[in-house]
Amino acid sequence: MPIIHTIGLTKRFEDVVAVDKLNLSIDEGEIFGLLGPNGAGKTTTVLMLSTVIKPTQGTAKVGNHDVRTNPDAVRKLIGICFQEPKLMWVSTPWDVLNWHAKVCGLSTSERKHRVKSMLTEVNMWEHRRKRIHGLSGGMKKRVEVAKILIQRPKIAFIDEPTSQIDVVGKHKIWDMIRELRDDGSTIILATNELYEADVLSNRVGIMHKGRMLVCDTPKKLKDSILGGDIVEVQLEKAADNHVLDELKGLEEVVEIVKIRPDDLRVHLNKVEKVVPKIVNLFLNAKLSISSIRMSEPSLDDVFVHYTGLTIEEAEKKSKTK
Amino acid sequence: MKAIIHLVEYDFRNFFRYKWWLAGLISMNLADLLIMAVVYNQMLSPEITELIRSYISFFAPGVTVVGLFASAFMIGREINMEVRRQIHHYMLSLPITRLELAVGRLLAGGLRGMMYMTPLLLTTFIIVGFPTPLQLLIILGALFLLATGIAGVSIAIAVSISSFEKFITARGLIYYLLFFCSSIFYPLTLIQKLGQEGIMPQPFVTLAELNPLSNCANLIRAFLLGNPPFTLDMIRNLIVFSAVFVGTATVAYMKIIQRK
Ligand SMILES: Nc1ncnc2c1ncn2[C@@H]1O[C@H](COP(=O)(O)OP(=O)(O)OP(=O)(O)O)[C@@H](O)[C@H]1O
Ligand SMILES: [Mg+2]
Repeated sequence: MPIIHTIGLTKRFEDVVAVDKLNLSIDEGEIFGLLGPNGAGKTTTVLMLSTVIKPTQGTAKVGNHDVRTNPDAVRKLIGICFQEPKLMWVSTPWDVLNWHAKVCGLSTSERKHRVKSMLTEVNMWEHRRKRIHGLSGGMKKRVEVAKILIQRPKIAFIDEPTSQIDVVGKHKIWDMIRELRDDGSTIILATNELYEADVLSNRVGIMHKGRMLVCDTPKKLKDSILGGDIVEVQLEKAADNHVLDELKGLEEVVEIVKIRPDDLRVHLNKVEKVVPKIVNLFLNAKLSISSIRMSEPSLDDVFVHYTGLTIEEAEKKSKTK
Repeated sequence: MKAIIHLVEYDFRNFFRYKWWLAGLISMNLADLLIMAVVYNQMLSPEITELIRSYISFFAPGVTVVGLFASAFMIGREINMEVRRQIHHYMLSLPITRLELAVGRLLAGGLRGMMYMTPLLLTTFIIVGFPTPLQLLIILGALFLLATGIAGVSIAIAVSISSFEKFITARGLIYYLLFFCSSIFYPLTLIQKLGQEGIMPQPFVTLAELNPLSNCANLIRAFLLGNPPFTLDMIRNLIVFSAVFVGTATVAYMKIIQRK
C-alpha cells in the first residue's frame, strides 16, 4: 500500500506544463529520490503533494487523503524543507525553529530539547540569535533543514537539502536524513545531485519536462544500462584476435575498444561476475595482466541514458527555453 | 484555536521587531497633537471653538484613530512581502486550516492596531477626561471593530496586488481618501456645510459620514466631549464596515494566496 500515490497529476502555469500527467507511487518508509534537470518539475510536484499549490488536473493521495478534497488532513502528516529557505528576514534562527516546533504541536519540553539539539547538529547554535538577513546562504539553508528535522513529520518533502552547503555539512545532513527515515518517516528527496540521490535513496525517479522517465532502485537503473560497466585491462603484450574473439564471446560483454594493442577497454554488464572470467581467459592465453581497473556506471550515466542529454545539456536547454 | 494563537504570536513578534520605529511613530503622533493644540487653537474662529471646546480635545480622538489605522494597516505590508518572497508557501504548508490562517492574521493585525493605539487613547483621556467603565467598553469595542476592519482592507489589498509599489500607492490613496473625507481633522458638520454650499462634492460628504474613522472618532468625542451626540448609527456603521472587510479579506486571503 503506497503512502503517496499520484493520478495524472498535472500543473500548468500559463503556457508552461510544469508537471505533466504524473503517475507515481511512493512506499511507506522509503527515501524516494526525485531527480531531474532544472525546471523538470520536482519542486512543483512537491508543492502539489504538500497542498501548497493546487493541481490543474489529476490528483494525489497522500497518506490516504486526497490533496484536493482533504488538504487539512494531508497537512497534518507532512513537512517541507523548501529549496529556497522560507524565513522572515527580520527573524532569528532560534525564533524560526521554536515557532515552527510550536505550530507543529511539539510539547514544551520536547520542543526546547529538539530545537537546541538540532541547532547544534546543523552547527547553528552560536548563530541562533543573529538576524536571518545577516546569515550566509548556506546558513539559511541549514536553518531550513533543521525545521524538518525538528518536526519529524510522517512524510517529509526535502527539496535540495544540501545545495549551498559545504562538504562536511552535506555528509552530516545525509546522515540525519537517513536517521529520520529509520525513525519511520517517508522521505521524498528532490535533488539535482545524482550522487546524493544515489547514496540516500531506496528508489529514484528521473523527471524530465514534467514527466517521469524511469523509476526504480539506483542499482537496477544502473544495471539497466547495457554495457554500462567498464573494465580496463592492460596487458604485458598485445592481445591477438583469437583472444579478442573469445572475449567478445562472453555473453555480458557488449563492446571492446582497443586503445592500444595491449590496452583494452571492455564495455559490459554485471562487472562483478565477468571479471573473474576475463582474468581466466587471459591467463589461459598466457597473457599476463599488468593492471585491471573496473568502474560501474553512476546515476549520471543513467540520467544521460534516459534523458538523452547530459545534465549540463539538459540544464542549458531548459534555461534557453 | 491554538493555531490562531500561534499566528497572533508570530505577527506580534514581527511587530515588536519594529519597536523603535513604532516608538518613533507614536512620538510623532503625540508631537502632532501638541503642535495642533498650540497653533490651531489660536487660528480657530470663536464659533467653532464653542462647538469643539478646544482643538486639542477635538483632535486627540482623531489622532488615536489615525494611529490605529496606520498600525492595523501594517499587517498588509507584511503579507504582501510574504507573498512576493513566496514565504506564504511556508504558511500554507503548516498544519493549520486555511480559515485559521486567515482569521489568525486578521486578528493579529487588529490586535496590533489596538496595542499601538493604547498610549494614544490614554493621552486622549488625560487631555479630554476619562469615560465611564461602560463607555470605555464601548469605545474599546468600537476601536477593535475598526482595527480588524482596517486589517481586513489591508490584507485584501495585499493579496490582490502583487507589486509592492502598487500596494504602497493603493495604501496612500486609501489614507488620503479616508483621512480627507472624515471628521478626524475637522467636525463633520463643517464638511456637511461645505457640501450644502457646493464646495465639497456630495460623494465626499457621504463618504465622510459613512467613514469608519469618522464614526469611531465621533464616538469617542460623543462620550468625552458630548459633541457630536452619540447615535447608534455610529456603531452600526462600524459593524457593517468591519463585517464587510473581515469577510472580504478572509475569502481573499484563503483563495488568492493559494494561486500565487
Ligand atoms: N509560480 C510559477 N509561475 C510560473 N511558472 C512556474 C512557477 N513555478 C514553476 N514554474 C515553471 O515550472 C517548471 C518547473 O519548475 P520547478 O520549480 O518545479 O522545477 P525543478 O525541477 O524544481 O527545478 P530546479 O532543479 O531548478 O529546482 C519550470 O519551467 C518553471 O519555470
Ligand atoms: Mg526545484
